[in-house]
Amino acid sequence: MTPPNSTPHPYSLLAELTYRCPLKCPYCSNPLKLRQYASELDTDTWKRVLAEAAALGVVQVHLSGGEPLVRQDLEQLVAESRQLGLYSHLTTSGVGADEARLERLVRSGLDSIQVSFQDSNQVDNDFLAGLSSFEKKHECISAAQKLDLPVVLNVVLHRSNLAHLEEIIQLAVDLNVEKVELAHVQYTGWAFRNRDALLPSRQQLQEAEQVVQAARERLGNRPELAHVLPDYHQQYPKPCLQGWGQVYLAVAPDGAVLPCQTAREIPELDLPNVKDESLDAIWFHSPVFERFRGTDWMPEPCQSCDRREIDFGGCRCQAFLLTGDAAATDPVCHLSPNHELVELAIAESQQSTAPLRFRTYE
Amino acid sequence: MFTDIDCEQAIDMNSENTIHRPVLVRHARFRWDDIRKQHQIVYPEGVLVLNESGASIVSRCDGRSTDELIEDLQNEVSNDKLTADVQTFLLRLVEKGLLVDATK
Repeated sequence: MTPPNSTPHPYSLLAELTYRCPLKCPYCSNPLKLRQYASELDTDTWKRVLAEAAALGVVQVHLSGGEPLVRQDLEQLVAESRQLGLYSHLTTSGVGADEARLERLVRSGLDSIQVSFQDSNQVDNDFLAGLSSFEKKHECISAAQKLDLPVVLNVVLHRSNLAHLEEIIQLAVDLNVEKVELAHVQYTGWAFRNRDALLPSRQQLQEAEQVVQAARERLGNRPELAHVLPDYHQQYPKPCLQGWGQVYLAVAPDGAVLPCQTAREIPELDLPNVKDESLDAIWFHSPVFERFRGTDWMPEPCQSCDRREIDFGGCRCQAFLLTGDAAATDPVCHLSPNHELVELAIAESQQSTAPLRFRTYE
Repeated sequence: MFTDIDCEQAIDMNSENTIHRPVLVRHARFRWDDIRKQHQIVYPEGVLVLNESGASIVSRCDGRSTDELIEDLQNEVSNDKLTADVQTFLLRLVEKGLLVDATK
């Protein structure tokens, strides 16, 4: 199929192999109604998806979930990625990644691994994960390092672990990983449901920025500290995915193809599926990928804004969740006519004593 | 979670530091992208797009010394500041964690 001239090829594929996961993190990026999506693509279909992705220009595949290690065909999919010239990156909780399994994955051609931690210490980590997993994460990382596999640490930050930021950074230093992503919660899905219990205060955030800055000065670039700021406290929205349908696509466990992993939040999108169409046809021609591509769809104040090709109007899922209109300016932008919704959410959350609701299969 | 797309141009900057025997780190992969017609270095969660001169340099980061690398490049490129440009470029890749000095 001939691609339209203005549409770039995607660099990155998020392959969500399964929504199954032994952890119950209250900010999980998977959908709320997990039971609806219980059916999973089989091995051959995933292999076809990987081949179509490589032909479409994808360079890097993020093997993710849920917990991708629950898929017993993961080795086959890693081997297929390697054969296709795709750089494979495994996103895991570390649970189920013992040395024998990792060795098989490395032998199949796995290039790198990202391991999540929920907090800096066993008690808090295991509470947030809803599972005794702290030790297993350590074992996973030490096994990965023995196999010479580069390790990225990912820690999702929010109100109840921000006070431990210093210790979280120290954990990354002690584990001797190459990079740690300190990523504040993005309020969609489970995190949106738990927003009142997760949103930090402005003061907490300022303190966190100081901690990261001081650590960077002290540590240099080992490990590299990537601090992903919470957009509720920013002046401008995040450049969501570097633009809708520009560099990235996600394939969900059931074969749905999404411009962003949380796009299931937007009910108006009739998601295409790899079972019905090729990835190429979906990327270049499906109405879902065309819906917010470029700048023509933008309302004011985005349409005439100098930053329209810097932040691309922000997050579509967030716009929908906060305003009911997926085509609205992301309300975290201080120029949005709905910005008071964000201010209100911050104010309300600071008074709230709502308990965390953990991820369940509903 | 995402793939950062970054572009690297070999440009002029003066620096005191030098790298003697540049090699790509084990987890970085240098590749030709036949769809976009460009060279890239792929690494965990990122892609660095190289221009032609950058690719000429990186393709020679194979264990030879920087002096040998520059000498070899001189047959291909005419640039008065070649030595300084190459050193600067190499150090930027070291800073990004993509190159190491094999002599260290």
